[in-house]
Amino acid sequence: MPSFQAFIPFLAPLVMLAAAVFAGRHPGDPRRAQRFAEASGVAAVVVALATLLELVLGGRQTSPLIGVAGLGLSARIDALSVSMLLLVSAVGLVVLRFSSNYLAGDPGQARFAGGLALTLGAVMALVIAGNLVQLLLAFVATSLALHRLLVFYPERPKAVMAARKKFVVARLADLALAASLAIIWLRFGTGDIAAIAEAAKAAPAGATDTALILAAPLLALAALLKSAQFPSHGWLPEIVETPTPVSALLHAGIINAGGFLVLRFADVMMLTPPALHVLALVGGFTALFASAVMLTQPAVKVQLAWSTIAQMGFMLFQCGIGAFAIALLHIIAHSLYKAHAFLSSGTAVEAVRAASRSEAGAQAPSWRFALAGATVVVLAVLAWMLLPAATDPASLTLAGIFGLGLALLALPAAEGRGMTGSLVVALGTVLAASLAYALLHAAANHLFAAELPVASLQGTVAEAILVLAFASFALLAFLQLTAHRWIATPLGRAVRIHLANGLYLDALADRFMARPQTSSQS
Amino acid sequence: MDAMPSPSAAAIAATPDSATVLAAARSAVRRIAPLWPLDSFVAVNPYFGLVDHRFAEAAATLARTAGARSTMPRAFYAAALADGRMTLADLQAALALAPPSSARLFDAGKLAAFAVSAESEGVAPLDTLADIARRRTRRDWAGQVVGRISSFAARHFDGGQASWRSPSESGGLYAAWKDEAAIDRAPEIAGIAGFRATVSALPDERDAMLVESVERLALSSGQLPAYFERLLRSVGGWAAFARGRDWPSELAGKQGETVVDLLAIRLAYEVALYTFLSDDALLRGAFSAARRAYAAPVDPLSEAGDCLLQAAYEQAWQRRFLPTLTRPEPSAAMGRPAVQAVFCIDVRSEVFRRALEAVAPGVETLGFAGFFGVALEQVAAGETAGDALCPVLLQPRFIVCEAVSPNAAAARRLGQDAGRVMRGFRGAAVSSFAFVEAAGLGYLGKLAADTLRLGRRGDASGAFGKPALDPAEREGRLTGIPAADRLASAAAILRGMGLTDNLARVVLLVGHGATTRNNPHAAGLACGACGGHSGDANALVAAAILNDPAVRNGLVGMGIAIPADTLFVAALHDTTTDQVSILDAAALPPSHAQDLALLKAQLAEAGKAARIERAPRLGITGDPSAEARVITRALDWSEVRPEWGLAGCAAFIAAPRALTRNVDLGGRAFLHSYDWRKDDGFRTLELILTAPLVVASWISLQYYASTVDNRVFGSGNKVLHNVVGGFGVFEGSGGDLRVGLPLQSISDGRELAHEPLRLTAVIAAPVDAIDRVLAAHDHVRALVENGWIHLLALDGEAMRRRTAAGWRTVEAG
Repeated sequence: MPSFQAFIPFLAPLVMLAAAVFAGRHPGDPRRAQRFAEASGVAAVVVALATLLELVLGGRQTSPLIGVAGLGLSARIDALSVSMLLLVSAVGLVVLRFSSNYLAGDPGQARFAGGLALTLGAVMALVIAGNLVQLLLAFVATSLALHRLLVFYPERPKAVMAARKKFVVARLADLALAASLAIIWLRFGTGDIAAIAEAAKAAPAGATDTALILAAPLLALAALLKSAQFPSHGWLPEIVETPTPVSALLHAGIINAGGFLVLRFADVMMLTPPALHVLALVGGFTALFASAVMLTQPAVKVQLAWSTIAQMGFMLFQCGIGAFAIALLHIIAHSLYKAHAFLSSGTAVEAVRAASRSEAGAQAPSWRFALAGATVVVLAVLAWMLLPAATDPASLTLAGIFGLGLALLALPAAEGRGMTGSLVVALGTVLAASLAYALLHAAANHLFAAELPVASLQGTVAEAILVLAFASFALLAFLQLTAHRWIATPLGRAVRIHLANGLYLDALADRFMARPQTSSQS
Repeated sequence: MDAMPSPSAAAIAATPDSATVLAAARSAVRRIAPLWPLDSFVAVNPYFGLVDHRFAEAAATLARTAGARSTMPRAFYAAALADGRMTLADLQAALALAPPSSARLFDAGKLAAFAVSAESEGVAPLDTLADIARRRTRRDWAGQVVGRISSFAARHFDGGQASWRSPSESGGLYAAWKDEAAIDRAPEIAGIAGFRATVSALPDERDAMLVESVERLALSSGQLPAYFERLLRSVGGWAAFARGRDWPSELAGKQGETVVDLLAIRLAYEVALYTFLSDDALLRGAFSAARRAYAAPVDPLSEAGDCLLQAAYEQAWQRRFLPTLTRPEPSAAMGRPAVQAVFCIDVRSEVFRRALEAVAPGVETLGFAGFFGVALEQVAAGETAGDALCPVLLQPRFIVCEAVSPNAAAARRLGQDAGRVMRGFRGAAVSSFAFVEAAGLGYLGKLAADTLRLGRRGDASGAFGKPALDPAEREGRLTGIPAADRLASAAAILRGMGLTDNLARVVLLVGHGATTRNNPHAAGLACGACGGHSGDANALVAAAILNDPAVRNGLVGMGIAIPADTLFVAALHDTTTDQVSILDAAALPPSHAQDLALLKAQLAEAGKAARIERAPRLGITGDPSAEARVITRALDWSEVRPEWGLAGCAAFIAAPRALTRNVDLGGRAFLHSYDWRKDDGFRTLELILTAPLVVASWISLQYYASTVDNRVFGSGNKVLHNVVGGFGVFEGSGGDLRVGLPLQSISDGRELAHEPLRLTAVIAAPVDAIDRVLAAHDHVRALVENGWIHLLALDGEAMRRRTAAGWRTVEAG
């Protein structure tokens, strides 16, 4: 019984589009363009809340199709689309509001507000898409709208260069997605995403669906490219050539589109386990690689960009091992964190100062003590998590990695000046964090159960991947705990320098992308 | 250094010896102005190393070595001529004051025509080898070289942004770079084949490396100074930062090595490029032409026309400004004022002082450097070392710790340890994933709080607690201020402020700071006289010393009688919000409670008036209650212009306040209280001309340079700023470290907020007394005679201008 409420989500991209059109028509009146965009941002949040209400009252639904032959535009209301719409509209509103003062006086402020609104509208259209066509169009539109913001200062050669790299990667992602969606459409005979998910769920589990043998890897490829995974990540750290609010939006609302694709088609992906294995391997490797690079970066925004690459890698790793609901939780939590981190990156001076201040009085850490403490923490967290929870291997691995993360707190605790005090602080943090983790994971699994499969992967390959992942994360954690012992050695120096250069992938890309140029003074 | 035996006589003639090379390197280094880290960002004169040259000659040098502009585009002056702000008479006046060499090139008509003549787009500096290679191979080698050096330097100097960073080494910058360069593949991937081999083959010892490189590039001694300067200016931000690193040892009389090391690194890239492109005959030819250009003397008149236009623009400004000072002033001799309030000489104090005098006619205001003459190192509770709260030209004399209970200190340490644990949780590789999942959702609250400006209290509300003045020892260092030093300081403070008689019941010592959020350049808004920090600790210490009964007894013996009922009170002026808060109010004696209650009300009212005056300039319009928005925007994390800082600064006036009391100086003048009749032996005059005036000139020239050429002397667009290492900013992802002020600090996007003017200093003192000071202090005389500031003396009603040729009477406008 479709009713007009099913169309509510469409209002969100529409108000943003209206703001973009308004800004385009009033380029000389930044104040009004900005105000219109902010009002639209508020309206979009209201629409997102109304959609949530409709989900609660009216249940999961897809609006009637605007289109022909089962292809066209339709809005999907379910836990995935509503949480993404809430996230994007909230982050969008914050970013729009922030830009009001931040870009004040810039001759392009109206264009900027319009560009933000257009990009937000495209992302909103993407996350509410109920049909393959809308999904593809919104996916492409997001990237094209974003491109205008990336070259907001076209006179900056480095910005143009980075945007060009990103453009190439994005077009590859578009192609992969288009091909994948075409196959999916042929295989399932419908463009309706909910119907596709139902059909996929009904398919026999575990067996590889031959028709999808290409579609799922292509989808995985699109996701990896879109979320700046190794080796296509190079443009992301360079794109901090763009104004801070664009970085905030990109890192909080757009870069996770790759993850969103996988989640949207989680049931389809489940039919092709090798595609998931690829996601897990590439995502996991990127998470390790990029977070090690992050540790060597001296510039705050570049460091944040590497952190995003790593977080997206971890999120896709979670997808790859079948922990889809946890991946969605990761997307949402990371977006909020990263939006704030970028917008407040001007506090880095104070932050570094506070850090070096506490370092000035720090004790030389007893690394044996730290190591022992770390081991205890890992074991404690694992035991604590696993006593009540079901012991499926994926959750076990994730809990183990979480424990490794908490174990690293033993290091700052061991260095603290008030020894007991800082131990108490660290233990309190460990407790609070693992409680939050357990509750949030349970909540995510419960809330997203209808949309996202919880079944984790079976089989030798999957288990090997899990073991490999835990071992690799443990190795990285060990290297961090003992960093002060090896960082000054010749080998340590070489590792640090190669990592700081991102293992030169970017320098290589630059060399091939570089067109002869004569611009820019020294 | 002894001459070393050389293989052939020809080699001696062709290749400069080690002493010559090093001398050339050091002369290039001396031309680089230092840069301080952002947490103590103080204004530095960007022309610091060039003040011993005339302004026009420095402009010519900078055009050659940095591609810098030193004046506004000609259209700026043409517009001033067209709308009447500048007239032919001003052009004539500027020509009359100019040295004959440039004055004879123009007359007023020619100069006016020059203002509307076309000028070349951008100034191209002399070619480095990287510049030539860029043109020859059509790849941006110059940008590559800056990028590589910047990447290395950022990691080397990182103060704590990266967790895995270079261990601090004692070998110096060049040695550290050479070690890295032997490992780093990036230059070779970028296309400089054989880079690592070339670098490895260079001498490990820096001076030997300089000599060998000079030889390989076939440079002769006459080419070296300009070439070295050009190389340093091609990585100008890092050169400035390196000079800042060297500053403490230079203050201690030693030679700094960091900038020379940086020069060696930059030179190594030239050698590597030269080696790599050695079979390109055209490149070699172009470089040999470039070498000759470096040897050619600077044409001191190449920028003469533009500099004359700037001088005329300043004449026009002075023509409007100076008459406000010379009109006869009814100096109604006040009796004992109710309150004397001493503010920093900072231009932002002028607005508030005028407002306070208007609402409280019984209050006398004075201007004095905001560190109140107490050069401190402030050590916060739980710390062992702290910031130097004094002008960067000085070293702290005393270490003053915050007096807090052991429990409070322990609590603060625990807080820091907690912060450390959280930073580890958020920032370490594996734990950052756990952090996001456990705590990421909480950032929704932070986003909301910051967007809705639910920030904490203002930064400038007096973070420093009670200072501990009693001598003690901490970590082997003497802290506190011994009794004898207190007496000497007290006498110096009072004499410097001219407060040796007729003291009020309440003497308010007002330091200043600024509340701002999420602003890498926050320290630039704080008190420059306190080394880019808030001045609350200095005010507290000065007040404590002056209230010390033993000190007061001692002062009587020195001829300074402080009335028994005089109370010194410390306060802090938040320049962003114009709120003045009385510090440590609970500890003040009840005897003065009434006075202070009244004063508080007056300060609040004056603050409101000051905000009403400033609001339109901040873009806040509407009814008078709009002034409240001046306060709220200080807590806004998205605000790139929380206040205008010292933008607009144009004049320095050392005179009794009576001279300026009824003049609206628009927040554009540094006001130093000074009465030469009370100045025994003109020692205070000497102090004013050598310290506050120099600091004011640094601030003024920093604003000037950031305005006329933001690319070279400014830090660019704030929306692209990327804090590096906790000490500086990149504009975007990398490139050279940026110096100076952001565009947002000097312009609202449409119009300049800072009018580029060299400082006009008006000193109310006899000319011969001023001349005696100038004769004793070459660097101040250079500032005046070489045209970096305008110095005028006001003696009675006669205004005279100091030029290189001596004093000239200024015609009343």
